[in-house]
Amino acid sequence: MKVQTTRGSQAARFSHAAGFFDAHTALIGQLAPLATAAVGRDEPVAIGVRPITEEALRHLLGESVELVSLAQPDGLDPDSGQTVASRRARQLRTLTEGGTRPITVLTEHISQFDGADGGFWTELDAAMNIALAELPIALTCFFPELPLHLAILDGARRNHEQLLVSGVPKDNPDYRPPRAVLAEQPVSAPAVLGPPDLTLRFSAWQLHEMRAQVQQALLAAGCQLEHAEDVVLAVNEVATNAVEHGQMEAELMLWTGAELVCEVHDRGILGDPLPGLQAPHPADPKGRGIWIARQLCDVLHVWGDAAGTHVRMRTTR
Amino acid sequence: MVRTIEEMTPVDHACAVADSDEHLWEVTAAWLAGGLTEGERVLYFEDETAAAVLSRLTDDRVQVREAIGSGQLVVVPTQRTREILSGPVDDLERLLHGEIDRTLARGWPRLRLTGETVGALLPSGDADRVMAFERGTARVLQQHPTTRLLCRYDRRRWNERAIDDMRRMHDTELVSPAVYDDNLLRITRSGSSTARLAGEIDHSNRLRIKTLLEAMLDQTLRSHSAPTDVVLDLSSLRFLDVAGAISAVHAAEEFPSTHRLRLVGVRPRVLRVLDRCGAPFAAQLVVEPHPEPGDPAPGDEPEPALR
Repeated sequence: MKVQTTRGSQAARFSHAAGFFDAHTALIGQLAPLATAAVGRDEPVAIGVRPITEEALRHLLGESVELVSLAQPDGLDPDSGQTVASRRARQLRTLTEGGTRPITVLTEHISQFDGADGGFWTELDAAMNIALAELPIALTCFFPELPLHLAILDGARRNHEQLLVSGVPKDNPDYRPPRAVLAEQPVSAPAVLGPPDLTLRFSAWQLHEMRAQVQQALLAAGCQLEHAEDVVLAVNEVATNAVEHGQMEAELMLWTGAELVCEVHDRGILGDPLPGLQAPHPADPKGRGIWIARQLCDVLHVWGDAAGTHVRMRTTR
Repeated sequence: MVRTIEEMTPVDHACAVADSDEHLWEVTAAWLAGGLTEGERVLYFEDETAAAVLSRLTDDRVQVREAIGSGQLVVVPTQRTREILSGPVDDLERLLHGEIDRTLARGWPRLRLTGETVGALLPSGDADRVMAFERGTARVLQQHPTTRLLCRYDRRRWNERAIDDMRRMHDTELVSPAVYDDNLLRITRSGSSTARLAGEIDHSNRLRIKTLLEAMLDQTLRSHSAPTDVVLDLSSLRFLDVAGAISAVHAAEEFPSTHRLRLVGVRPRVLRVLDRCGAPFAAQLVVEPHPEPGDPAPGDEPEPALR
């Protein structure tokens, strides 16, 4: 007997596989059938690959097939994997039409984003596991068999539930849930900035003073009122989290240079290593603050260390 | 005699004791608006407070720009206010006489006054100096009985005894009871199913909103004559955090199907938070933006300073 499943009857869910390649032709050889199959199913295809790979794919699939380009790391904090994951999740959520339309996503390791140790990729994939968990997305990431930083392969082997073997996805025994992966390899701190333009300490009862000072500084720096108000909301939500969880006081630093940067530091232990990545359930009052803050900022990077929990937010003027 | 702001029938020399900044703006705006409604010329002595008071007037749907443009509402700038109050009482009396004459000469029925006096008076003096100014203005009012003056006292600056002394110098006290006022958020009720929120809602006071909405819904459900809408007037709500917005949306979702929660006069900043928190998808939540939001800035009045 032959059991057939049709795509329509099957509830599509998130899947995350990794494939490995030695040469670029081999990469194209693995990408092409995945993309072609998706086009055959009339699924949108989103890609996060090098320009040379994108060109090859477009050539193979023909001009009539639309490939959606995913957000790539940019700006002054390119190492924030969670920021890239958050941006991509927003793009993909729209593409799935609110989670109702399955899509295929293909990405490639790009060494220029390795940063100091390649940790970016481990953070990105762990964050994608959290951010896309409820979306009907088939995500396949390709890595070189020998990247410069071997930590990239370690991360890839732990973050992907499936590994492609001769083009066929197999369950990966080394897979770990994202929070376990990040417990072993914590999110790294961003590059240290110079002295801030504004530093203040605040408690849960001084949030309004903090808001007034931040808004005043933003307006003085030439920020438009509506944008300043949105940034203040983002800062308020991060700051509320900082003083909500038992710690009496938190510290805020603001830089009003060409870009606006705000950091909030508290002495609490970071419970969820990547808060605010998952769309909050409508019935759940918790967790929406950081989710909204991530949408209001270009970069929102959360990290923890022995000193406590830290958040950097960055936005253009 | 104690009166509420709502029954502010003609009074000449009134006082109000404010618990918070929001309370000050509320009572000041009500006093100024009362004068504008009655066709009086209205003078407000500001002390870096014009933005807050004019903003509150706009919240209250008062046509501030028109009133300033026509010369009916005059905002005396901070520097001039401080000059007047740091000088001798005689000068103030002379100035008031002059303004009253000018008001009548221009065809206004009478002059109405209030302002930020204590901030400018206190650094250079004490309660005695405030009392001397009170007596001076009282003398002016005796000679011009149609002129109306509201003196406001901030409860955070004065002890009860000083406040009682000042109360005795006024024939009327204007009161506007609040159900809650923590100096960040002020909640006033008008009727069982309507409340007004002024100030900011954040982590420090957001539980009040939940409590307030539950109480209002209970009272509305119990009363047969009550309307089926619970109304929160957010005209003067300047900040709402995400958890506060969520709790309003949730409260509406838990209303019985016969009832709705209406948020009226919502400012753009609060509207954006509500939109991000799912307000458009809550069937029993109605959000009505403020018809004319914005904080009008003073400065374009044709009569910039008092001579």
